[in-house]
Amino acid sequence: MDKKTHDLTRGEKEKIIVIRNLNKYFGELKAVSNVNLEIKRGQVVVIIGPSGSGKSTLLRCINHLEEPTTGDILIDGVKLRHKSKSLNAIRREVGMVFQQFNLFPHLTVLENITIAQKIVRKRSKKDAIEIARQQLERVGIPEKENSYPIQLSGGQQQRVAIARALAMSPKVMLFDEPTSALDPEMINEVLDVMLDLAKEGMTMVVVTHEMGFARNAADRIIFMDYGAIIEDTTPNKLYNNPKHERTKLFLSKILH
Amino acid sequence: MKSDDSTFVPHQSQLSATLSEVPWWLLVVMLVGLIMVYNITTNEDYSSIFSFLKNGVFITVRVTITAYIFAVIIGLLAGLGRVSKNPIIYNIATLYVQIMRGIPILVTILYVSFVLYPMIIDGVAWVAQSIAVIGLGDSEGFWANITASDINRMMGGAEYSMLYRGIMALALSYGSFSAEIFRAGIESIEKGQMEAARSLGMSYIQAMRYIILPQAIRRVLPPLGNDFIAMLKESSLVSVLGVRDITQLGKLYSARSFLYLETYNQVAFLYLTMTILLSLGVRALENRLKSGQ
Repeated sequence: MDKKTHDLTRGEKEKIIVIRNLNKYFGELKAVSNVNLEIKRGQVVVIIGPSGSGKSTLLRCINHLEEPTTGDILIDGVKLRHKSKSLNAIRREVGMVFQQFNLFPHLTVLENITIAQKIVRKRSKKDAIEIARQQLERVGIPEKENSYPIQLSGGQQQRVAIARALAMSPKVMLFDEPTSALDPEMINEVLDVMLDLAKEGMTMVVVTHEMGFARNAADRIIFMDYGAIIEDTTPNKLYNNPKHERTKLFLSKILH
Repeated sequence: MKSDDSTFVPHQSQLSATLSEVPWWLLVVMLVGLIMVYNITTNEDYSSIFSFLKNGVFITVRVTITAYIFAVIIGLLAGLGRVSKNPIIYNIATLYVQIMRGIPILVTILYVSFVLYPMIIDGVAWVAQSIAVIGLGDSEGFWANITASDINRMMGGAEYSMLYRGIMALALSYGSFSAEIFRAGIESIEKGQMEAARSLGMSYIQAMRYIILPQAIRRVLPPLGNDFIAMLKESSLVSVLGVRDITQLGKLYSARSFLYLETYNQVAFLYLTMTILLSLGVRALENRLKSGQ
């Protein structure tokens, strides 16, 4: 599965994420199988695939929330090593948005967004609050800064989670099924924020089943099954001309 | 007929519901308390027992609060050790918890007081001597010839020495209980909280300090409060060391006067008053936390 369907020869500096021969086992179970992937600065990559296909695990390996069993991951040219101090330094460059939002329930919205800025980025309180307010403005809920997460709807919570990640000024944003836990009427408010972000040129890796988002925003779409990358192409090519039987079968189930 | 039934039945169930909501147990306790206060103010035996025992209340409270503060600090550290992924830290913390939970508190009190504490004092004397002789090159001075009994005297002599031993033993015992409370509290926080904190670049320690512990401590406040109440009761065991707490003074007074019923009535009631007040406090705290989040 080492096939590169994209021209990635424009120089190493362009590649912000490089994954080489990545394997991840959970005990006997092989969750990610020999994945090679290179993502360029500013690219929006959507990963799709049936549940259990290893797409979330792959995403979580990118910032070492899961420790790869074998293989290398380079972020902006720096190799990630588990349990090293540099890992914290790299993680702050990689924002992550979770399916379950994972806001800090004991902190207000503003504190959720400022705490890591203060203790990780060492920004002053004033700067952190200013940046937090800009990000809340961007995700469209500036009026909620003094609320606690429990007082917000799911869509609002996820938008705060995006603002929290963006406030760290990351180079890459990872989205792990960001709309799967949301009520249907709240999905679009989150997708709109993500679309804007894509237009602004943020490098994004998104695990999702939202085909509309993939079509509108993705430069690349990757189909995974049984832990391996089956196809790596543009959304148009994938929809109109899927190469593999498994891709066809999967698409026929999710595109109505 | 039908309308009669429907008005009558709810009325009765409402009355019985109101009756069942009355905290009868507390009324009984308060009644006993009133009788006790009445006896203390009118009966000469009771009032002289009370004025003797009340000196012990201060010691009991002092032992409980001091030992509890140390127990919580030890418990927090050991609890963090119990959830640590570092095998050395994990095993040290687990060993401590298992040993302390497996030994009766009374035995711990005797062991700490007559084995561990003397060993520590000897150790301190040895270190002080070594520093004086080797470190400072002074083999004549006060520190070079310091002995364990000198250190004991510096700590306030026999009376305080036993108090400290009792406090140390209770803190070590209860530290293991609070360790398990903290461990459970930390483990009850969703895994995603740690992941979100780490994904923002926080170190494990920062994530614990700013994200996990503030939430965990909120959750463990009620069980920690219950531990405080248990500690207050268990502090009576230090009377075996001769520490003059409520129990010890009760033993002394009753042995001298043969007024066993009157003395132990008051001893029991003093503890009961304190524990019931505290448990009402814990319950109020629990309700506040429940409505707060």
